[in-house]
Amino acid sequence: MNWNWFYRMGSPKWFYYTTSRWLPWLGVMTLCLLVTGLVWGLAFAPEDAKQGNSFRIIYLHVPASLLALAGYFLMAAAGAIGLIWRMKLSFMVMKCAAPLGAVLTFLALFTGAIWGKPTWGSYWVWDARVTSMLILLFLYLGVLALQYAFQSQEVGNKASAILALIGTVNIPIIYKSVDWWFTLHQPSTIKFTEAPSMHPDMFQPLLVMILGFYCFYALALFMSVRVEILHRERKTAWVRDLVSQVAEERVGVNS
Amino acid sequence: MIFQFESLNQFVTMDGHGIYVWTAVIVSVLFLAVLVINPLLRQKDVKVEIAKDQLREKQRQVSNREKT
Amino acid sequence: MLINRRRGDVASPLIFFIIAATLIPLGVSPDPSVLSMIAPGIIWVMALLATLLSADRLFDADYNDGSLEQLLISSQLLVMPVLGKIAAHWLTTGLPLTLVSPLLGLLFSLPSEGYTAMMAGLAIGTGCLSLLAALGAALTVSLQKGGLLLTLIVMPLYIPVIIFGSATAQYSIDGLAWDVPLAILAAMLTIAIALCPIAIAGILRLTTIN
Repeated sequence: MNWNWFYRMGSPKWFYYTTSRWLPWLGVMTLCLLVTGLVWGLAFAPEDAKQGNSFRIIYLHVPASLLALAGYFLMAAAGAIGLIWRMKLSFMVMKCAAPLGAVLTFLALFTGAIWGKPTWGSYWVWDARVTSMLILLFLYLGVLALQYAFQSQEVGNKASAILALIGTVNIPIIYKSVDWWFTLHQPSTIKFTEAPSMHPDMFQPLLVMILGFYCFYALALFMSVRVEILHRERKTAWVRDLVSQVAEERVGVNS
Repeated sequence: MIFQFESLNQFVTMDGHGIYVWTAVIVSVLFLAVLVINPLLRQKDVKVEIAKDQLREKQRQVSNREKT
Repeated sequence: MLINRRRGDVASPLIFFIIAATLIPLGVSPDPSVLSMIAPGIIWVMALLATLLSADRLFDADYNDGSLEQLLISSQLLVMPVLGKIAAHWLTTGLPLTLVSPLLGLLFSLPSEGYTAMMAGLAIGTGCLSLLAALGAALTVSLQKGGLLLTLIVMPLYIPVIIFGSATAQYSIDGLAWDVPLAILAAMLTIAIALCPIAIAGILRLTTIN
């Protein structure tokens, strides 16, 4: 099997130039999907029979939670690739995925809390999924804090990659035990009013939103990885050429 | 597909749930925007910094040549 | 002998354990019915904090005097010395905490059915806590101020232990089969004993040798 593509993918320069071509398309696609999904979900999707209009928060809450969790696995996978193949690029991806995932987790918690007020009557409920999400936020914060605590970029990368991996091993255990804990303490007053299956009219905009969030995630991740590449590769010839080209263009326009 | 609300006013209030829905929407959009705008700004800063470094290096080379 | 060398290390988690637990009735309520309801949870949270308190010094002394690097260079299996370190940590924190816990049970008017289960749970659970704390300690050993960071890293990993640990005591108080959560706790301990020392050895290799 030819592994050339794999090593080429690990080259920051290749990544930078390829994503330059993708970014405009990705940006337009993200914007279209998010605007369509949001307008569809907020204005055109039918009202939920039990929860009324407050259920429309689902169009933000579910995609954010999904991406927050998927983002953690992506971060851990990037860290593992970096540790095994010593690939610089994948450490950069890992580093950039951490704040992104943390913000998405926070958003999931925030929208969940707001959704909870009209539905359950309180902003915070110690429910299994809410608690798991909070723990996910802590895991993200741990990786972030560890990454920035080290003076040496390299050691910080390795340490936080290992922590991300330990987290991945633990996530199923944590989720299972939180689930178990919740069934043990479940107060009888709170019942989930979630229907087993969603009506297609409600589900289609959600699908659009989920797709939009995936595109958004890719967009935001690529953009911050590109900054990281420029910053770390500032001494290399190609970055210097790139910057001087841009500078010359600027000067040309100004004069 | 039909617009679910009778008036724009009703769309904003959403039968009393408007405040929750719209807070969630505004905060989410705000955070997502920050996630995109922040790397854009940083990219500009990094490029300017690298350009400045290069300029400084060039000047140093010129002054070195003048000395010798 | 190991304990004699640094007597403060044993005493301070223990004292913390007792004093911090004393604050709870002052802060919440001296009512025995309230206290006995929250007793298992409180004792577990205190035990968790007490093990964290001493964890950041697990590898510190060896790192500072260079013997850790010697161990790494000697290319011997690092797993056994690491396991020994963790065992020592448990013997100086987990075991004393377990032995003192009935005293706290008395202070919190823990129902008499709960003592055996609580002690069994603590003995096994604090082993897990020591192993996980060692993971965090290995990750932060080369940092000057690793204490707070260690807490942030290890806390989420502690969650399953505290859930099943306090459930063990709660089950026996409620008259349920408390060997179920205890067995899960023991399963977690065996997995942790198998995996953690290997992971820690790897982490030490990656983060301390440059």
